[in-house]
Amino acid sequence: MGRDLSKPDHLPNLRPGREPPHSSWLPLQRRGITPQMIGRYPDYDVLDSADTWDDATAKVVNARLHVPTELRFFSVGEVATLRAFCNVCVAQDGEPRVPVVEMIDERLAAGRLDGYQYADMPDDRDTWHVVLAGLDEVAEARYGKATFAACELETQEAIVAQLADAQLSGGSWDSLNVKRAWSVCMRMILAAFYAHPWAWNEIGFGGPAYPRGYMRLGPISTLEPFERPGATDEDPVREAPELKG
Amino acid sequence: MKRNLLKGSVGPKDNDSRFLLDVHRRDLPGEDTMVRYDDADEVDLCIVGAGAGGSVLAQRVARAGWRVVILEVGPFWHPDEDWVSDEAGSHDLYWTQKRIIGGTDPIEMGKNNSGRGVGGSMVHYAGYCPRFHPSDFHTQTLDGVGADWPIAYEDLRAHYETVERELPVAGQDWPWGYPHSYPFSPHPISEAASVMWRGALKLGITMRVGPVGIVNGTFGNRPHCIYRGYCLQGCKVNAKASPYVTHLPDALAHHVEIRAGCMAARVEIDQPSGQATGVTYLREGDAVERLQRAKVVAVAGYSIETPRLLLNSASGRFPRGLGNNEDQVGRYVMVQGASQTAGRFPDELRMYKAPPPEVSSEDFYETDPSRGFARGFSIQTVSPLPIGWAEHVLADGHWGRALREYMRDYNHWACIGVLNELLPQPDNRVTLAEEKDPYGLPVARFDFSLGDNDKANIAYSTKVITDILHAAGAQDVLTIHRYAHLVGGARMGTAPDNSVIDADQRLWGVPNVYVCDGSVCPTQGSANPALTIMALASRLGAHLARNGRP
Repeated sequence: MGRDLSKPDHLPNLRPGREPPHSSWLPLQRRGITPQMIGRYPDYDVLDSADTWDDATAKVVNARLHVPTELRFFSVGEVATLRAFCNVCVAQDGEPRVPVVEMIDERLAAGRLDGYQYADMPDDRDTWHVVLAGLDEVAEARYGKATFAACELETQEAIVAQLADAQLSGGSWDSLNVKRAWSVCMRMILAAFYAHPWAWNEIGFGGPAYPRGYMRLGPISTLEPFERPGATDEDPVREAPELKG
Repeated sequence: MKRNLLKGSVGPKDNDSRFLLDVHRRDLPGEDTMVRYDDADEVDLCIVGAGAGGSVLAQRVARAGWRVVILEVGPFWHPDEDWVSDEAGSHDLYWTQKRIIGGTDPIEMGKNNSGRGVGGSMVHYAGYCPRFHPSDFHTQTLDGVGADWPIAYEDLRAHYETVERELPVAGQDWPWGYPHSYPFSPHPISEAASVMWRGALKLGITMRVGPVGIVNGTFGNRPHCIYRGYCLQGCKVNAKASPYVTHLPDALAHHVEIRAGCMAARVEIDQPSGQATGVTYLREGDAVERLQRAKVVAVAGYSIETPRLLLNSASGRFPRGLGNNEDQVGRYVMVQGASQTAGRFPDELRMYKAPPPEVSSEDFYETDPSRGFARGFSIQTVSPLPIGWAEHVLADGHWGRALREYMRDYNHWACIGVLNELLPQPDNRVTLAEEKDPYGLPVARFDFSLGDNDKANIAYSTKVITDILHAAGAQDVLTIHRYAHLVGGARMGTAPDNSVIDADQRLWGVPNVYVCDGSVCPTQGSANPALTIMALASRLGAHLARNGRP
């Protein structure tokens, strides 16, 4: 039996250990692409509306579907740890993945930063190098692995949890404010991940709406004709009451 | 009787911007035929910054026949091509050049509070346009905190009314502060905002629709809002008010030149007389310094760049920076506490539809001794798009799988925020950092620390909006503590030892330099500053134009 989406019992704050349920409660995407092909809107693809977007917006969004794979900012030696770190931060444990690493590399190479630098922090670009070096140092010192990327997923998650709680110190970590370093990295990772139309499919976001606009503001309905309601993974045929006797 | 037969909002006199705009294109009309002044041509007024302050001032004095050049470091926008319905793609609307932030509570800059380009920060503000309250001008007298302005609400009231007609502002009759009506009727609101309103009603908190600078119907050649929700990414519809659509078209039609891509380096001072002779600036990609000569200079770069320019304008006669003989430049910079709380509801609300600003309350605006702190806060509904929502979820401590779970739940959430009046402090200040920008000019450093009154205000207000969510039936609640807006840094006052400018916004000690932006405000109330910045510029414009051309 599928879950009732009007209930909030899948939300981490309401669950033991603030842990979400295993992703198997989610339906596999049936239309379009989502990261790891899971999501709450299996029959919705925001790209179906791409022909209604203005040219400037379509150009910017479509470019994210074809991000260059060659990295310009990060060095070859950093890539494995960078990839593992970004995967853990937004739980991309399988294909298809939003190309977070490539999107961040492009931004940093172009110098498109957020417009501020904490007085007790280096430039954001240097922060990234320090964080990646620091992750490898922790993997070696505490877990006996050559790099962060060489650790098991559980170990990687444990290290990132310590970073998120500003519990890391020593070596590279002493050259910056760890709490702010986490914020610098996550801001950029989230801005990349949730800029991608695959992530919009996962969360059921209507996407760009110019020049068309939105019309269904509620309360009768909040669904435009091109949007789809949330769904869980029950099979509508097998779950039909008349088949259940 | 006759007025009731008119549809929509009655337009202002002496501003034709709404008719000059093109129905089918979004470009600022008149760029091709814009007057071009020569650097050596001594214009009547050189303004630094084409934002809320600079644009309104230019429009006003141009109507009185002044010859005006506006220097703007950012681009001359062509919205059809430059602006997008996309969060990450709007990066260039913000001032993302480096600033150093310090203090015990450093303020994140960039997309949060800083604009760059013709139209300034109002290109990406949400659209809330409340007035300040009469009490905001006398907080020292009334509450023993902050500072008294050298002017009163009555000095600004006529300009509030004019600017509200020019934007025009849509909203219900306003019961708070100085009660007033709005020229445009209130917008329909989304279910996400209605949910909050029902919660507030249960707690006895009054909320009203608006006030937003977004047309509710056609207005001249500006079309109705289409509720696409990307107000913070620049309005591609021309429905949301910004100087780009409300004042600059009329300014261009009255021979104002906007010189975009030009960074002001310093205000030039004739050393013997102490008078300004113009503004030295650098064009993008060109290291040659140019001097635009002018009889009068107005600095309108907002609370970070205005102090920075004044400090960078140090000369033999003003060795500590222009207007800084008494060490007042850059002090008393304020931000507003802007905590937001989101609630989860059983139905899909899809808060990304309709403008983020919808319903607000000023029930808590003034001091209530029973709350245990001076001054107060306002409450406003907001609605983050996916990247903003991700930052909200992260702030509650979630990442990885937990963050993805909350993000997938996006359509079930609605969000409400506060604006706290944080008090002016001398050490919350803009100074020059060691680091230099690509033009070779020292960048700004902004230090900010909360006081005890500020912390008590933030804590109390966060509880109020959380209570509203619970009263509305929220199933889960996530909170982010953040800051918004900027004012102060070159405040007006009664003497050089307590301020940077006088009541007419003229720099103490320099007879022909004015400041015309949010940095002039001695206090900030709990109101979004855009409308007040425009009203102050309108007042300064009327003052300068009164005696004809200089």
